Amino acid sequence: MVRFIIRRLVSLVVVLFSLSVLVFVLQRVGNADPVRAYLGPNASQAAIAATRIKFGLDKPLIVQYFDYLGGLFHGDLGMSYSTRRPVAVELADKVPATLELAAWVLFFAIILAVILAGIYTLKGPVSGVIRFVFFSFASAPSFLLATLMLLLFFKQLHWFPAVGRITDTSGGGPTGFYVLDGLLTGNLAYSLDAIQHLVLPALAASLGIGVALARVLADGLSSGMASNYARTARSLAETERSILFRHSLRNASSPALSMLGVLSGAMLSSLVVVEQIFSWNGLGQYLSTAIASADFPAVAGVSLVLGAVYVILTAIVDVVLALVDPRVKLT
Amino acid sequence: MLSFPETKPLAAPIGLPRLRWPFSIGETIAVTSLALVVILSIVGPLLSPYSPIIPSGDQFLPPGSRGHLLGTDNLGMDIATRLMVGARTSLFAAVVTTACTATLGLIVGTIAGFVGGWLDTILMRITDIFLAFPGPIVAMAISAALGASLSSSIVGIAIVWWPLYARIARGEVRRTATSMHVEAARMSGSRGIPLVLRHILPATLPTVAITASLDIGGVIAVLSALSFIGLGTPAPAPELGLMASTGMQYLLSSWWIPVLPGLCVGVLALLCNYTGDGLRGALRSRGV
Repeated sequence: MVRFIIRRLVSLVVVLFSLSVLVFVLQRVGNADPVRAYLGPNASQAAIAATRIKFGLDKPLIVQYFDYLGGLFHGDLGMSYSTRRPVAVELADKVPATLELAAWVLFFAIILAVILAGIYTLKGPVSGVIRFVFFSFASAPSFLLATLMLLLFFKQLHWFPAVGRITDTSGGGPTGFYVLDGLLTGNLAYSLDAIQHLVLPALAASLGIGVALARVLADGLSSGMASNYARTARSLAETERSILFRHSLRNASSPALSMLGVLSGAMLSSLVVVEQIFSWNGLGQYLSTAIASADFPAVAGVSLVLGAVYVILTAIVDVVLALVDPRVKLT
Repeated sequence: MLSFPETKPLAAPIGLPRLRWPFSIGETIAVTSLALVVILSIVGPLLSPYSPIIPSGDQFLPPGSRGHLLGTDNLGMDIATRLMVGARTSLFAAVVTTACTATLGLIVGTIAGFVGGWLDTILMRITDIFLAFPGPIVAMAISAALGASLSSSIVGIAIVWWPLYARIARGEVRRTATSMHVEAARMSGSRGIPLVLRHILPATLPTVAITASLDIGGVIAVLSALSFIGLGTPAPAPELGLMASTGMQYLLSSWWIPVLPGLCVGVLALLCNYTGDGLRGALRSRGV
């Protein structure tokens, strides 16, 4: 087990390094000259030359990469062209916003997947219709789901707010996770308000992955219920429900868990879209603004952070899988 | 003396295999609708009296208005025309993307699987690293670095998506390489590239093609998401993702401006997914 975890950590580090190389290369092959983009169109030749040296762009590429990598270790993601502030500083308060939303998306997706998987194993026309409806949802782009939810739950029903993370922006707490902050500071109303703001964006981003997850889970459940161990359990007079929950679900949950790891990549990209729609002040909205203003260091910073989140998440999933499922080979 | 057991005549005379329609009812509907949508998106813009990028009527006309079946947008451009052109762009771009991706993966996978040895190890390590990246996010970064346009979105997606195909192709090549017909071809003196092209590739192509047909719907959705966050062709291009994102500010007053392009993407992706499923089933039932 320890060997497995060490191997997984080593591959995690390799992938993170490769990601940094990729992002670095992208910064250099980009169309825009970074110095011109930073100084604007009216900069003098002397200023351009000076800035080039200041940014270390006169050095060989490999040295530049190691400078960049060294910067990353110190939390330096470069300077934003449009705001001229360090990207890392700009991202600092946006990371909790996105992570909080992501946690809720995963939470909703898992609940949805379990409910749907239950419906899938039933037979009959109702199940067919529900299947079709949700298959359609899974094909729909997340911006369509977000718009439809806004129309229904915000415009028609007035159940949930449409924009932002919180009504009262003056409050706050130590972590930047608003629901948690509310609980920590004993301000329940603050937490509730934060949850109300979370529901629509989290739902919009979770439908697609929830449905995909449900299909894997349902496959596992139905093959589990038809398996030899289920037959043995039946012959020992165990109830269907107990077979489902005690044996089948446990066996079906490990492919579903590894699917969840893969799906979290899709989740991050739909978060980018959903954050833009709901004016969620997180990494995704920042990325959209950065793209609009051709601010590539900012784009690179967000990609690196989101990429790292994904890579670490999949590593955690792998380790958890190895811990709970003895069938996972320790290679 | 040898005697053969009496053989009963078969119920049906042996002849050409009966050609059976390979799709279920649902799949038939999907395939037919997809064909109609493709025809509509090609012929429609030619027949439409309006330009997709020039205002042609009052602004904010709701769907069902006279002369504008699906209404007009905030600039007074005809939405139906824009949707048809957008659907054409989406479908075309998705097919191009998937074809590029599958070809790239097929080449890498075939080389890795056929040559083997250290080349296989290196190629598969690279593949693993790419597979470990969060695809859509890296695609966004790549197309942002190349400058927002449809072609850089296509390049971005192709760069992150090929490893899946490389994996599949490598597996198929290795499986095929040990099969009887390849063995026979080897013995009759075929080797190297001709062996791959004539005997191995034909056996690996169907699996890759099925995967590609299942992927097109997903690629349509990813392309529209990239266009939505501003990585496609700039406005006023009739791209579905862009139309939805620029229309978003009119959601509460004129819902059709952002919703119709989104619905269009959803329907396209759904039809492609069902058709891909159907194709997979049809090819499987023929033993491919």
